[in-house]
Amino acid sequence: MNRQALRGAAVSVLAVVLALAASLLVIALTGAPIGKAAAAMWDGVFGSPAQFGATLTKFVPLVLAAIGWVVASRAGRLNVGLEGQILAGGTTAAVVGLYLTGLPTVLHLTIAVLAGAVGGALLGGVAAWLWARRGVNDFIATLLLTLIMTQVVSWLANGPMEEPTGTLGQSSPVADTARWPVLLPRTTLRTDIIMVIIIVLLAAYVLRRTVVGYRLRLTGANADAARATGTRTTVVGVGALCASAAIAGIAGSSLVLAAPAANLAPGFSAGYGFDGIVVALLARNSPLACIPAALLLAALRQGGGLLEARVGISSGLVTATQAVVILLVTGTAWYAERRRSRPRPPGTSDVPAPVAEGVRS
Amino acid sequence: MNPFDVALFAAAIRLSVPLLLAALGELISERGGVINIGLEGMMLFGAYGAFITAWATGSVSLGLAAGITLGLLTASIMALVSVTLRGDQIVVGVALNLLAAGVTMFLYRLQFQGTQPTTVRMEPYAVPLLSDIPGIGPVLFDQLPLVYFAYVLGPVVAYMLFRTRGGLRVRSAGEKPEVLDSTGVNVVRVQWSGVLAAGGLAGLAGAFLSVGQVGLFAENMTAGRGFLALAAVVFGQWRPYGVVAACLVFGFTDALQLRLQSMGEVPREVWISLVVVGVLVAAAGVWRARRSGSPLRWMLLGAMLCVVAGGLGTALLPSFVLPSQFWLSLPYVLSLIALATSARGVRAPAMVGRPLPSRG
Repeated sequence: MNRQALRGAAVSVLAVVLALAASLLVIALTGAPIGKAAAAMWDGVFGSPAQFGATLTKFVPLVLAAIGWVVASRAGRLNVGLEGQILAGGTTAAVVGLYLTGLPTVLHLTIAVLAGAVGGALLGGVAAWLWARRGVNDFIATLLLTLIMTQVVSWLANGPMEEPTGTLGQSSPVADTARWPVLLPRTTLRTDIIMVIIIVLLAAYVLRRTVVGYRLRLTGANADAARATGTRTTVVGVGALCASAAIAGIAGSSLVLAAPAANLAPGFSAGYGFDGIVVALLARNSPLACIPAALLLAALRQGGGLLEARVGISSGLVTATQAVVILLVTGTAWYAERRRSRPRPPGTSDVPAPVAEGVRS
Repeated sequence: MNPFDVALFAAAIRLSVPLLLAALGELISERGGVINIGLEGMMLFGAYGAFITAWATGSVSLGLAAGITLGLLTASIMALVSVTLRGDQIVVGVALNLLAAGVTMFLYRLQFQGTQPTTVRMEPYAVPLLSDIPGIGPVLFDQLPLVYFAYVLGPVVAYMLFRTRGGLRVRSAGEKPEVLDSTGVNVVRVQWSGVLAAGGLAGLAGAFLSVGQVGLFAENMTAGRGFLALAAVVFGQWRPYGVVAACLVFGFTDALQLRLQSMGEVPREVWISLVVVGVLVAAAGVWRARRSGSPLRWMLLGAMLCVVAGGLGTALLPSFVLPSQFWLSLPYVLSLIALATSARGVRAPAMVGRPLPSRG
């Protein structure tokens, strides 16, 4: 680890500690017993195998969304639409899981997960096309597509794909052959977590050790230099957006194929796409660091539920804590990313910090 | 039954106003080079602050003031982190949305324990004489006082952005901050004022939702209106009157959507008006193509789709029900199409989404 990475890690840890301390203070101010609140939080995460399994279940989409953000933002693209790509991927996975029956488990599940990746990538591809061909900002395009996708899923779940009998406003469960097998009995944890770890390792490897990953990082760090060395930056940008969206699509497929209900319901993305951005920030865009960061946020999400049930502290506090973490990390980025601490001698030219290129000129 | 009556247009105006307030503020901020994804959060904070203050003091105007103040406070966080500290604008905006959703939910539940109290709300004010004009009078001039404020806001913003020195500075900060900097202007301060304008107006828009319209607060009561306002800036192609028009269109589709839901089936008038819209779009396309030589095909394609859909609708499906989700996603689809089909010259201000370059 170099100095910069170390400093970044220290800032992230400090931000989390500060935000947690602040929320404990808020709990104390409301007059609720701190000890009981902390115990509820702890039990929510580690209290029983079921609780811990639920935490790990939440870890899966969080870390995938975070990897999606990392892949795009390392190439200088801002994929704010992870939430929409999760919805798209979940939808295509559900379609395959529901209507393509009669296949053996391994095959059906594989096709359904791939369909999720393709669904996400298609939505990301639309944004990428708008960015590359029509000069539309990547973050505006992905955000608008997310808002559209929210309505599309709501329509599908209440209309064409609605369960004929039974609960209104959601689809039937997907076929058993398209569901992830249970990993820990009597918990919600399923084997998709193994695939997720592989994806994280793969992303880390590709970004660090391959030519594709090098070109991607070069494009993000300095597009002019990348062009000068023969990298087609537009192609890299489109590829990064699509890959990022495909990973988010896989997260969506997990939210359907590994969920207890295993069906399509409006809003099943549950904010994971946006929380994934928080994870990636905490991890400072390092794929491997996304694992601890996602675990932490999954624990906050899971523990926050019990906090509400037992002590009556609304889960809004957990949401606000996450927001404070982001603000602290973003606000101190200039410090963590500073390259040199010594002042330069006067007269030398300043090298501008690598900035994400938001607009294609 | 004809859905296009006075009540529909009055509702369209009422639904446009919060969008208009928030979108015009956002326009100033984006012209200054700061995109504010946290608009939704600022509106939510404004709605909450206005409600709590009105609830505690029984005064609508104090409530509105509190809404603006909370919007400004949220905007200062945005400006501090994204402008002064050069953090990522998009990420800060996402954080502010989370912050507002979390904090307002936490405080509201803490204080009211699951009850939903109501408080004072703004009374409509019928402008003398003007409200008596048949037709447009009751639609335009028998509204809440804030609505009249929103009427003049569009021209005011247009004047400020394009006819004053401050407006010129804001626009330069959004396009070429280095140049503005070299003329001795403090770019950071210019961007701060743009973000604060967005925050104050978004706070007011939120206050309009809670204290202005209903006199109560509900968790997540902005329900995506902040994003709709963002889309309006895009659809209005970063021009004041374009943004006003976009807000009116979005407000109108929302009102129509609500009306059609209560009617159960789509009346013939809607299909016929779709044909009319198609013809108008085609005319606009031809006119634009003759003026600037921009390609016609997208406009014509859209127009043909409208005419065909309208014709088929009248002929085949008099009782066809369009899902509400179609109408709810329409503003975003329109914005994307507008972006994708607009001429090359139309784009976001150059600095949107990028931190200011550091000074050596």
